[in-house]
Amino acid sequence: MDIQNTQSQMRKGVLEFCILSVIRKGEVYPSDIVEKMKLAKLQILEGTLYPLLTRLKNSGLLTYRWVESNSGPPRKYFVMTEQGLAFYSELENTWKELADAVYLITNTIENVEEQPNNQIEENETQPNNQF
Amino acid sequence: MKKVININFQGRVIPIEESAYEMLKQYTESLSKFFANEEGKDEIINDIEGRVAELFAETLKKGATCIGEADVNNIINSIGRPEDFETEDMGILQNNATNENNNNNNQQSNNFNNNNEPRKLFRDENNKVLGGVCSGIASYFNIDPLVVRILSIIFFGIFFIPYLIVWIAVPSTAVQQIGSMRKKLFRDPDQKTIAGVCAGLANYFGVNVWIPRVIFLMPLIIKFLDKLTDWDMAFTPNFMFVSVSPGVIFTYVVLWIVLPEAKTTTEKLEMKGEKIDINSIKNTIQNDMEGFSKKAQQWSMNINSQVSSSANKAFGSASSVANDASQFARKTSSSLGDLLILLVKIIAYFFGGLALFVAIVTLFSLGVAFTTALPLKDYLITQGWQNILAWGTLLFFIWVPVIGIVTFIIRRVTKSKANSNYFRWGFSLLWLIGWFCLIGFFVSLKNDFRYKNNPTENSLQINSNISLLEVKGKPLNKYNSSWYKFDLGDFGNLDEDTIFIKNYKIRIIKSTTPNYQVTMAKMANGNSKINATATANKINLNIKQVDSTLFIEKGIAINTTDKFRNQHVLITIAVPVGKRIKINSIFMKSVNFNTTSFSSDDDFDDFYYGNDGESFSYNNNVEYIMTEKGIKRTENNKPIIDEDIDNVDIEENYNDENDDSNKKNKLENYKQSREALKQQIEQERKDLEQKKKQLDEKQKEYNKTIDSTKTTAIKQTTVIPTISTLKVNNDSNKTIVASCDIIKKRFLI
Repeated sequence: MDIQNTQSQMRKGVLEFCILSVIRKGEVYPSDIVEKMKLAKLQILEGTLYPLLTRLKNSGLLTYRWVESNSGPPRKYFVMTEQGLAFYSELENTWKELADAVYLITNTIENVEEQPNNQIEENETQPNNQF
Repeated sequence: MKKVININFQGRVIPIEESAYEMLKQYTESLSKFFANEEGKDEIINDIEGRVAELFAETLKKGATCIGEADVNNIINSIGRPEDFETEDMGILQNNATNENNNNNNQQSNNFNNNNEPRKLFRDENNKVLGGVCSGIASYFNIDPLVVRILSIIFFGIFFIPYLIVWIAVPSTAVQQIGSMRKKLFRDPDQKTIAGVCAGLANYFGVNVWIPRVIFLMPLIIKFLDKLTDWDMAFTPNFMFVSVSPGVIFTYVVLWIVLPEAKTTTEKLEMKGEKIDINSIKNTIQNDMEGFSKKAQQWSMNINSQVSSSANKAFGSASSVANDASQFARKTSSSLGDLLILLVKIIAYFFGGLALFVAIVTLFSLGVAFTTALPLKDYLITQGWQNILAWGTLLFFIWVPVIGIVTFIIRRVTKSKANSNYFRWGFSLLWLIGWFCLIGFFVSLKNDFRYKNNPTENSLQINSNISLLEVKGKPLNKYNSSWYKFDLGDFGNLDEDTIFIKNYKIRIIKSTTPNYQVTMAKMANGNSKINATATANKINLNIKQVDSTLFIEKGIAINTTDKFRNQHVLITIAVPVGKRIKINSIFMKSVNFNTTSFSSDDDFDDFYYGNDGESFSYNNNVEYIMTEKGIKRTENNKPIIDEDIDNVDIEENYNDENDDSNKKNKLENYKQSREALKQQIEQERKDLEQKKKQLDEKQKEYNKTIDSTKTTAIKQTTVIPTISTLKVNNDSNKTIVASCDIIKKRFLI
């Protein structure tokens, strides 16, 4: 079993969700997404990001707009569609369930009983706070 | 001093150093290769390129006069190399079967770039002579490639097959770099003549297309030259054509099936295996080599320190040394383990390759054997349906499974998955057709052999004024000149249009008249009694007498119009009593008397001659004499007892009043000596038995004395014996118990 492989598998699943969550907040330029994710210590290469954006765009979750830039050719800014918003809320629900489940499992049942309930709730809300 | 060029990159004019430009170009090419099968490929690449251009513009804005290599490197690092891209896109790509390669490449590259990974064996493309196998192994062990090369040349024979396997199985260093993919064998549809196999091979081995083509056409060329020049190249043409030509076709067909056609651009690039990034190959190898030498240094230092420290401690306590040694073992085991694994891998490759090679060669030679028999077909098979069935049997029943199995093996080895069901069903179906052909063929052939003729006996004129008849094979000059043609061993000799089969037997019987008599009975099979008789009548086996020699032709002539219908001839030579017969050795060699020719064989049971149940093993070049009791071996014109006692009844001969006293004495002597020998053996056996008895007795005595000494020893002890010593002997248990009592008593007193 390759640790690298497993790690990237884990990242893979959430990457899309994180990107969508960044775009949800308004029109963004791809390199802004990279910056924002870097702030959250979630590294992503632009080489990974661009194909992903194109695919999301092609499936109708995103759309883009050409914005004139003061230097050089116009730049592509991405924005979320209605469909994308619906898709995102679905993903958000799934993520919450998953995060709870993972938390419960990794902290084992006995530990959970000892811990105060509000700490779990805090944990739940954490992803939303971050983005 | 570097040359700077201006490029128009995504709508921006960018001054860039030439070397940096090369890097950039390679990078974009690697991207386009990586996304070759991606939907919206152009858009992705445009976006990335646009971003790169933007970053360039930013760099220039900051005051840089032009873009250098470092800038390009920085930007590439921030955007990422294809092998660093996360493989989440593979879920979608997997629908496309061809993209599996991409995936593998990706994973391989990921592994490769991780410095923590154990060192891997690669073919070294930079120092290669042939395929880079030797230099790859050399760089793995950090030794001079020349050493490996010399060794491999010395052991060329045993190294050749593993070399090829390692060549194909081990990825090259070029594989692991940016976007450049592993060179793969494909059929090349762009340059194809038949199926593009030759072109694909040429691409793979990096040679001109005509080289594999010439190799494949070699047998045809030789054949053509042979025809053209009418040049008798000894046995080569036949040999070449028979064994190489099917080999070539076979190889071609197998490759045709096994190799996928390079359809997409990615596959075409993979086929040509263009090296994308020379710089990065260099870098990676350098890094790798440095890392390895560091590792090696560390390792050797470890060993040194450990050895010296353990040596120091050796003067101290032994336990600390052991402890140290175990530590040392632990540390070295990982590197040694790697080495061992590699060795095991090499050995496994070697034996695996050898086994596969043998299997493939066996299958192939099986096919060739049947194909070689093809020229014989005309002598057996009538035109029309039977001929078609014969061809069908050869193609579908023999070659189809051979090709199928070989293909299967190769597919297994290369782990090719595409269309395996399609091939399996195809082959099964063809083989089924083969079965039908085979059955049909044998049924129709069986029909042709159904009836037998009624044999008639032809007497031959023999001059009987001789006392010795020598049987010889007829010397036929034409065989000598055509020695390189098909020699089918016992079956016969094949000439241009005639085959001579040795399907005849010679029987020697006692003549009722004072003359030699030779009779010949011809037999054959056919699809009707009339045809069988007609075929039998056509048999023309020349038997000629010249003085005291009887010449028999080497075989029954069968040509393409008179097919083989089990024509056989029984030659009966009646030898009068007191006269001799000798079978010539040359004749023997070709006709093989020992196994087939002399006995009254079961084949002829239904033949009106009946059988006298006698079976002789005849020796060639030895005279035999006919006596009243049958045929005997002779010496100086007189019958002697055959050394082979099985065949000659000694007892009867001995009682025969006609036999002379000489023979009697001999037999007497033999009997006596045998008796004496028997007695001697008996005597020795008795002696042996006696000695054995004595030995047994002595053994018993010996055992007894041991027992007694033990018990006495215990009796004599004044100290209370421990329980363990008391259990020494089971036999003496009672005495021991008794002695214990005595000792106790004594002690108590």
